[in-house]
Amino acid sequence: MKRLTLTVSLALLTASQAQKVETPVPIGVAVAQTSNTALLGQEQVIGARFAERFINGRGGINGTPIKLVFQDAAGDENSAINAFQNLITKENVVGIVGPTLSQQAFAADPIAERARVPVLGPSNTAKGIPQIGEFVARVSAPVAVVAPNAIKQALKLDPKIKKVAVLYAQNDAFSTSETGTFQETAKAQGLNVATVQKFQTTDTDFTTQVTAVLNAGVDLVIISGLAADGGNLVKQLRQLGYKGSIIGGNGLNTSNIFPVCQRYCDGIIIAQAYSPAQPSAANQVFVKEYRAQYKKDPPQFAAQAYAGVQVMVEALKVIDRKKKLAQWDLGELRAALNKQILAGKYNTPLGELRFDKEGEIIQKDFYVAQIKMKDARTGSFVFLK
Amino acid sequence: MELSQLIQNLLNGLAIGSVYAIFALGYTLVFSILGIINFAHGAVFTLGAYFTYTLVVGQFENNGLLKGVNLFPDGSPLSGNPWAFALATLIGAAVAGLVAVLVERLAFRPMRSRGADPLLALVSSLGVALVIVNLIQLLVGAEIYNFPSDAYGEVRPALSFQIGERVVIIRTVQIIIFAVSLAMLAVLGYVIGRTKVGKALRAVAESPGTASLLGISVDRFILITFFLSGFLGGLAGTLVGTAFGVAGPYFGVTYGLKGLAVIVLGGLGSIPGAVVGGLVIGLAEAFVPADYSAYKDAVAFALLFVILLVRPQGLLGRTQIQKV
Repeated sequence: MKRLTLTVSLALLTASQAQKVETPVPIGVAVAQTSNTALLGQEQVIGARFAERFINGRGGINGTPIKLVFQDAAGDENSAINAFQNLITKENVVGIVGPTLSQQAFAADPIAERARVPVLGPSNTAKGIPQIGEFVARVSAPVAVVAPNAIKQALKLDPKIKKVAVLYAQNDAFSTSETGTFQETAKAQGLNVATVQKFQTTDTDFTTQVTAVLNAGVDLVIISGLAADGGNLVKQLRQLGYKGSIIGGNGLNTSNIFPVCQRYCDGIIIAQAYSPAQPSAANQVFVKEYRAQYKKDPPQFAAQAYAGVQVMVEALKVIDRKKKLAQWDLGELRAALNKQILAGKYNTPLGELRFDKEGEIIQKDFYVAQIKMKDARTGSFVFLK
Repeated sequence: MELSQLIQNLLNGLAIGSVYAIFALGYTLVFSILGIINFAHGAVFTLGAYFTYTLVVGQFENNGLLKGVNLFPDGSPLSGNPWAFALATLIGAAVAGLVAVLVERLAFRPMRSRGADPLLALVSSLGVALVIVNLIQLLVGAEIYNFPSDAYGEVRPALSFQIGERVVIIRTVQIIIFAVSLAMLAVLGYVIGRTKVGKALRAVAESPGTASLLGISVDRFILITFFLSGFLGGLAGTLVGTAFGVAGPYFGVTYGLKGLAVIVLGGLGSIPGAVVGGLVIGLAEAFVPADYSAYKDAVAFALLFVILLVRPQGLLGRTQIQKV
């Protein structure tokens, strides 16, 4: 009996190791389709689907179509881990684009690392993501690179800024990482950080924090949070009489904040890793199609998810030209794909990008925009030079 | 603490505490009749906000089955002045009440008629809550919806007054929330305490068997209780949505947990207890120093824990006497 069990186990192990690559080629997308994070995740789903349609419309991977396999990673670590496990073991994907949040990445990426499956983080901007392992890379520029631009731009617009209030969502890994960068940059620019206030991404009432900011008499407020809480915070700051400049972090870089702070969004300065104004051909095609379908500019999260899928496919094209994908063993292809992702250079809607040997994105273009509201509901990110 | 800071915290705490109070009243009403917690109450709270938004704005974003729908291209007749907005709020709350009635029929009555353990009804209501939340997301997406600032007429965004050298500021919407909550509490107090319906409800709460022998239709009054509970939950949802935005399908979850803390603190099944509990938790949160305000939920639940150690029956709850 023991011998039979051992034989069956060995057979299964051999079968799994000799697993061939399926066609259409399955690429996993594990982002938040439910929970509070769905606000960001649903943009990523749209971006990824756009990429799938666009790529398959142009022949897929040298004639072989791709198939995106979506798994809901929700907004918590356990859901992300489950989504990754399903994609790796049940769906036999060649690689994964996901998860949505940095703190989920710290929990789920090691699962992919152990299974030797390449992961591209579409929106994980916290410090230390590429260092999770050799199979982890990201198409989302780290906050340390993006955030300082906003402070420099705010000082350019108003050189009299001296005192700063910093507010951040302490239950969000990305926001706590980003606020560190903001605070260091503010001090490096000779600004006085008069007060640091914490909140939770689930908070709706910010009266306590706003009162503290008003009492500190600051000229600039810097917010690291997500769209719902960040937008609400801006609204309450303005309603309670704050008149100075406001900088929003990466979590506020979405048109989803327009209906939250409405006319009070006007004037927020935001450092961006993506701009619809980016002139590359890849971006202009993406923007045109997105506008045609949704009557607004694509948000950063959609563009980054699109870029994630695009990078994976372009790397697969290179591999396929050497040896047809259907002839590869799955495990070997995953390893080859990981190597090829890091070796390539890509023209995506984010502009030109490549990776360092750790999987950190090297992005050419960054932007600072200011929100201009047309009316209570609609606005746009105006590119600041 | 300076006087101005004290007054500021008091105002902040009363505004949010009054919302907790009317939200928790919905929990309490159901608990006092059935002796179980309706976990779908947070989802009904969320629905109330969405229903009112539909009546006042009626425009949906790019995700969900209703994407691109605009019910009022020329503007809603239920927007732009306080009376129209109040009517929309009442209709939204009433529809939320009807949903609560549906929840009773789907999640509670089948269990009750089979004499099932109350725990099963509780789990069943949790299931209904998840279905409602996911249905909302399916229909309207996860976007944040917000009432336009002129939905209830042109009002000053905030009022301020000088105390010594400091300025105390309160958002106008917080004053409106407080006033509406007080008015609703007064109406509910009158209905429960002074009307035939209220007497019948109290009789059912005291002893459903005896009430039935006296000719009171227990099932009918349970439905009335659920309607009132859903109405209060929906109203609280709209009030919070007006002040802070309708922050996605899940925004009732936090309030659901807070509501539980409120009714346990005030005393399970006690209507005055729900009011006092709501205000105590609201004030406790408001008095958390600004630097630690991210921990205000922890403070609220720690307070609950401490008070329960001293008074296990809650602030205004009655000790259960068991005859042997």
